[in-house]
Amino acid sequence: MKAKRRIDTFFWVAVFSTGTIMVFILLPLIEMITQPSLHNLKETIQDPDVLHSIWLSIYTSGMAALISFTIGTPFAYLLARRNFVGKKLVESIIDLPIMIPHPVVGIAILGLAGKNHWLGQLMQQVGIHIMGTVTGIVTVLTFVGLPFYVNTVKAGFEAIPVRLENVSRSLGASMANTFFRVTFPLAWRSMLVGIIMCSARAISEFGAVVIVAYHPMIAPVMIYERFTAYGIRYSQPVAVWLILVCLVLFLLLRIFSLPKKKYS
Amino acid sequence: MKKFVNFLKCALVVLLAAGVFFPFSVGAEPQGKLIIFHAGSLTVPFAKMEKIFETKYPKVDVLREGGGSTKMARMISELHKPADIMASADFKVIDITLIPEYATWNIRFATNQLVLCYTDKSRFAKEINADNWYKILERKGVIWGHSDPNLDPCGYRSIMVLELAEKHYKVNGLFTKLIANRPKKNVRPKSVELVSLLKTGNMDYAWEYLSVAVQHELKYIKLPDAINLGNYKKDSFYKLAKVKVTGKKPGTWITRKGKSCTYGITMVKDGQNPEAAEAFLGYLMDPNGGLKVLKEMGQPPFAPCRVPSEKTKSQLPTSLKKWVEVKN
Repeated sequence: MKAKRRIDTFFWVAVFSTGTIMVFILLPLIEMITQPSLHNLKETIQDPDVLHSIWLSIYTSGMAALISFTIGTPFAYLLARRNFVGKKLVESIIDLPIMIPHPVVGIAILGLAGKNHWLGQLMQQVGIHIMGTVTGIVTVLTFVGLPFYVNTVKAGFEAIPVRLENVSRSLGASMANTFFRVTFPLAWRSMLVGIIMCSARAISEFGAVVIVAYHPMIAPVMIYERFTAYGIRYSQPVAVWLILVCLVLFLLLRIFSLPKKKYS
Repeated sequence: MKKFVNFLKCALVVLLAAGVFFPFSVGAEPQGKLIIFHAGSLTVPFAKMEKIFETKYPKVDVLREGGGSTKMARMISELHKPADIMASADFKVIDITLIPEYATWNIRFATNQLVLCYTDKSRFAKEINADNWYKILERKGVIWGHSDPNLDPCGYRSIMVLELAEKHYKVNGLFTKLIANRPKKNVRPKSVELVSLLKTGNMDYAWEYLSVAVQHELKYIKLPDAINLGNYKKDSFYKLAKVKVTGKKPGTWITRKGKSCTYGITMVKDGQNPEAAEAFLGYLMDPNGGLKVLKEMGQPPFAPCRVPSEKTKSQLPTSLKKWVEVKN
């Protein structure tokens, strides 16, 4: 009986916390979503500039997630499977982009890309421009999104028993073969979650992007621009659309990634 | 002994609580937080004024927030962000956005002018001067920019300078040619941001206020009075420059006419700390106080500061009246 009562108290604490958190997250969002009138929303989504900025946001975040997937997967695998000197340091470095204030990221990247830096000179000679370009936006978004991908996928790899890989290797499969035929099929779900996390982080980025590229405008920058130029009435609808579009996208991704969760 | 310490602790708590709940109830000396919103271009002089003011009034804690003037005014009128003082790079912003609902009067306290900034690493930095600058800006590969005319007065003023240049130098089509060599990506939300683009070599030339150029130790080309928007005696020529900026809603436009750069400052009506605000304005408008700081930093002040009419003067707090003259 005693034990049961203790669980009860805890249960109510948990219920209270859940309620608080839901209200804390949803209240401001609902307040914002219900502010603009339907007419306002309709007018906004018919504005080609708005459509373009939302599309650009999705495209650039998607690119950032794709890049993170390509270079982040082998890296996460290495972190999950091998121990080496300085591993803790490497793991801390991958977390750095989460901690650095966003404008600093933008300033740092612009500092490299300018012609006062040899790297910037080199990039400009081969025609890579960072300031005010889609390349620049994707660079920034990858920088801020990468840790979310790597950390998620690393945890995914760690959850797969090493002995499965060992069996495959002992039967003569190469490391690459083992990865693609044993590890990947078991880990793809965590990669998908990693991609969701990474693009979610990327799509919300404002501070770093606005320093690297004001034009072309991604949606968060446009929300800021609309607010400054026209006021809150015209910035909210853009925000609402961005939230709705993202919600649908991420919901779809989650649905695709979670159908067979029977064995948990 | 322990009891005594406890008593002290309690007393401290009571005192602190009193300080929190009744910040203005006792004494005439201004105290507490003083929130100032100001144009981005005023950041450096206001930072210095803050220091001096806080040594004069140690009980006041000045909290400043700088940004595009239009945006800062909107923070007050739309988001109802608390502020005691608003200083704008264009005094008109106060007239349009804040008066009558959020402020009653508007004091013009300083001027500025536009200059073309660069660094010694800018392309053609050795060649450029006050006579050939527009020819350099036309050249392919020269990256130059200005701030967003819809967000920042410095932005539309930069475009006005280009329009006036066409008339002043009598070169047909100069304006169109110049703008054609300035892709949209070289436009930034506020002018101060362009400074870091110059310093990192992402940009060769940027339009800035003289004060910003002086404060950031940039090289700059000073333009003739006829086009630099710095001399109010040339206002009749300045007003020939017309720039379309976004209106009240997306897709609508209003036209801004050229006018000399005149800074305005006001007290926000429902500010939390009018005593401190008044004290700060008194310090700012003192020729040996804030105005001196402005002068040192490349921002010629009006001494004395100006209000447009006797009526406005009568609306000012009594202690401020001695610092202004009525002059349009």
